[in-house]
Amino acid sequence: MEVSELMTTSVHTISSGKSIAYASERMNERKVGSLVVMDHGTVCGIITSRDIRASHPNRIVADAMTPEPIAVSSDQFVWDAVKIMDRHGIERVVVMDGDRLAGLVTREEIAIKLSQYADPLTGLYRAPYIQSIGAKFLKRGQPFHLLFIDLNEFGLINKRYGHPFGDDVIRAFSDRLAGAVAEGRDFLSRYAGDEFVMITLGNETEAEELVRYAAQPVAVGGIAVSSAVGHVDVHRESDFSKLSFRDVLEKASLLSTSRKMSAVAES
Amino acid sequence: MGEKSLYSRRATLSLKISEFEVPPMQDLLIIGKRAPIGPEAVRRMAEALSPEQFTILKLDHPRIEAVLVRNSILQMLDRDVLMKIVLEEAERLIHDTMVLRSELKITVSVEREVEL
Repeated sequence: MEVSELMTTSVHTISSGKSIAYASERMNERKVGSLVVMDHGTVCGIITSRDIRASHPNRIVADAMTPEPIAVSSDQFVWDAVKIMDRHGIERVVVMDGDRLAGLVTREEIAIKLSQYADPLTGLYRAPYIQSIGAKFLKRGQPFHLLFIDLNEFGLINKRYGHPFGDDVIRAFSDRLAGAVAEGRDFLSRYAGDEFVMITLGNETEAEELVRYAAQPVAVGGIAVSSAVGHVDVHRESDFSKLSFRDVLEKASLLSTSRKMSAVAES
Repeated sequence: MGEKSLYSRRATLSLKISEFEVPPMQDLLIIGKRAPIGPEAVRRMAEALSPEQFTILKLDHPRIEAVLVRNSILQMLDRDVLMKIVLEEAERLIHDTMVLRSELKITVSVEREVEL
């Protein structure tokens, strides 16, 4: 999901020479918590209701605003926007397309939307997250590796040890996978019950390392839990620009199943 | 006979005229953190009244946000030396809601000995 899908495009602005009292009135009238500060068509800051409360009403906006506000572009992923807000300890970011003010997006708006994607058991995002990222990379012509990671005999574990233990297994396995994620390079989701999908922008060696890492058995409560990993290097696919995310996922899923079958046949 | 009114209403005006000093600026303005006028407004005011003659120095101080200084002073004195002296004196007086103005005179005394 991109910032453009959540941002507010009707952004209220003010010039830096106006008084805090005027800015406050304007915010009350418009029922907004912030104003983007623009001088001569250029964004030079952002002023929030918190800044207003902390400043003398006689001051000018330039003396109360946050100058050079943190900005994201409208085609950035919303999860990246959240990370940027976390890093800077802010509640909203200005959306800029080049030099043009495109909108404003708040942490609250993103949090509400993202809560629909979050998996309560693992804390990971669910399938729509990875679908959105994969589809975006394909649209951009950005090659990536996709790993479809399916736990082996998870149904049997549930039956033998009970579903609460099965939940422990899912949590432990997702924690292990999450521990390998490099920010900005790897994207992980709990795709379905016992299936995880990871997209990595890393090179071939890094992707293979991730495959080996994901395929290693994990010990949970004394039980070794293994997985079958299907790996698709999108760059190696013929004419990958014409592929849909569904095509890539399907291939990785079938590869995972095939590995699982081979493992069963060998045992 | 007409009715005589005793009611009277007068105003007394007092007018003082003196020359307006141009520019009407002191050498230093010390701006408190919660003062009614902030550093950027002071900078703009100084720039409008005396273009390119003042510099605003932002400070990391619990009560003082910035000091506006006449550029000619900064040419004569090192910035850090000046700020140390200004802060030492100003922080005894200033509240964070105040703006203090200050005049600064620098007199250089030189005494040299030469061989006759």
